[in-house]
Amino acid sequence: MRALAFAWRSLLRRGGRSALGIVGIAAAGALMFDMLLLSRGLLVSVRELLDAFGFDVRVLASEGIPQSRLPIEHALETARALSALPEVASAVPFRIGEAEVAADSDRPDEVALFAVGATTRRIWTVVDGRDLSGREDDALDVVVNHRLAERMNAGPGTSLELRGRCSATPSILPPITVRIAGVATFPFDSGAQLTMASRFEVLDRLCERPAGEADLIMVASRPESGPDAAVDAIRKARPDLYTFSNDEVIERFERVGFSYFRQISTALAIVTLSFGIVLITVLLTVSVNQRLGEIAALRAIGFSRHRMAADVLWESALLVGIGGLAAIPLGMALSIWLDAILRSLPGVPATLHFFVFEPRVLWLYAGLLTGVALGAAIYPMWLVTRLPIAGTLRREFVS
Amino acid sequence: MVSAGASRVRSISRVLFVVGLIVGFGHALPSAITVNDTQPDPPAVLFSRQLLAARHLQVGDVVELSGDPSGANPQQFRIAGSYEPMPDPIRVTSERLEARLHLPDLLRLTGDPDNPQDDDSLSAISVKLRRPEDAEAFARDWSARVPAIGVRSSGGGETEHNPFEVLSRFHQAIASLTVITGAVFLLALMVLLADERRETIGTLRLIGLTRARVLAQVLLEGAIIAGAGAIFGVALAALTEGVFNAFFQWRYDTSLIFVRVTPSIAWRSIAVAIPLGMAASVLASWALVRSNTLTLVRR
Repeated sequence: MRALAFAWRSLLRRGGRSALGIVGIAAAGALMFDMLLLSRGLLVSVRELLDAFGFDVRVLASEGIPQSRLPIEHALETARALSALPEVASAVPFRIGEAEVAADSDRPDEVALFAVGATTRRIWTVVDGRDLSGREDDALDVVVNHRLAERMNAGPGTSLELRGRCSATPSILPPITVRIAGVATFPFDSGAQLTMASRFEVLDRLCERPAGEADLIMVASRPESGPDAAVDAIRKARPDLYTFSNDEVIERFERVGFSYFRQISTALAIVTLSFGIVLITVLLTVSVNQRLGEIAALRAIGFSRHRMAADVLWESALLVGIGGLAAIPLGMALSIWLDAILRSLPGVPATLHFFVFEPRVLWLYAGLLTGVALGAAIYPMWLVTRLPIAGTLRREFVS
Repeated sequence: MVSAGASRVRSISRVLFVVGLIVGFGHALPSAITVNDTQPDPPAVLFSRQLLAARHLQVGDVVELSGDPSGANPQQFRIAGSYEPMPDPIRVTSERLEARLHLPDLLRLTGDPDNPQDDDSLSAISVKLRRPEDAEAFARDWSARVPAIGVRSSGGGETEHNPFEVLSRFHQAIASLTVITGAVFLLALMVLLADERRETIGTLRLIGLTRARVLAQVLLEGAIIAGAGAIFGVALAALTEGVFNAFFQWRYDTSLIFVRVTPSIAWRSIAVAIPLGMAASVLASWALVRSNTLTLVRR
């Protein structure tokens, strides 16, 4: 009988104990699987968000946290100059602000306002009505997200009164009336966020900022050039600006912003790995100790040391393998729950996920489980191979 | 917190930015400059420990700061001391390159000479109430009285969207999953333990101990094993608390405390572990206790 079949029958013979081992591995494996999903999930998700609309290069006036960044002056002209580079397909200046709209309640609602230079490439998808246009008559048109449209009970063609909120306080400039051109979905929207996009003219009239300033310029490189060539070209053309490809943004984010989740996932993966190794080691060791006579007898009738060690290894592999397979759907289900908890963090875009599946997770998971199976089998295999045949048989029969 | 003046917020952030720029890139200014003895002593400034270390500055050095993002119109300051920035979990991954100036110095540094109101403008006033529980009502009242300023309570609130509440819920979820995994592990050990003692239980039953008596013994054993394990776990956590904190404080260059084993956490761990241990031992021994006595002793 082959070692695998022999190990399988051994496990069946001790069904209850084997089931416990499998359940233990499934529980530990599910947690480990989740930690692997978490270990790079946010990075993958952020990457998808950054890549979502085809912009693969960001241009800023300075580094640092968003609150302390310098604005890009003459952004429209700068964007036009960047668009003229052969490596660049389009360059869109963005300005980010806040405004207040008066709803039914006593307190006005805060709205995140994205102002863009006139262009055809957007970071939103219009689902009702029309998009912003470049016509002079439409300068005060806006597109809003579903939540804002519902909140204001408004739709395409409706007018809204906006007051600027350019810092912690409302602007002293008078409110302006804007017209909703369309309703759109915004990928960076958080759960409860009210969002609006407009042309620069709206923010220019709402806030006391110099006209034509942008917070960043998003650039789409030409497919034949790629983002790295576009970054090089922009750096050469405008060395005073800070230019990053999405890869560089992600690399930076991984270095500073993401380390907490990477560390917690590493720590918990190690804990669950240790759980798995100790559990299976204990189960196999007790099993071997209870079968010393049987193992000695098998050795006496000609089973080699290697063969007996292989039996133990297969038992370990079967326990870990079956438990590990059961852990995958369990882990996926748990990850939905854990992801929902983390996504309730304020300001997290609704499309962002912390637990993200990617094929490499399966390979890594399989590798770690293989390590568990091997690690757990080492001590019981050592016991089996070192077992003195005659002494054990004598002791077993005498007892 | 009472806030006013849009431009002031930008100015102050620009000051910090310029400090960051000077420190981060080192093009605008040398790290320390020599001051002529005949000049009046520059005003004092405090630099964060991180800023001092990043630019290899020391207390007593004279530096130039500018309120202009371009570094124009710099003013000299003498570093009077360094301070440890208030630990802030939200900014744990940010470099704390910060400086503290006297308010008149900051106003002079950031103010627009053409705007006389700049000398009398602030970005925020922190207010400490006699009755902190009135903070929300105070904020509402003052927002209504002076519409041009924003007044809000600085308390984070225990709402479900507070980031620390969310992270706490995530940690609790992870902890409960770890406990479940640990419980399965414990159950497996108890099953093995019970199996090993099959004959002992049979003998105890043969000499007259009732099932309830044997079960009580098993229950007590489970409680002792789980209690000992929990105490060991709490002691291990308390012992390694300092190691974890030291590592993460080094990693993030902060004085933030990451791990703290409080009495409440210790008691909660023990309170969860003991019932779990008892339940696992009863579950593991239930079949044996209910088995035929002769079967147990293999007769």
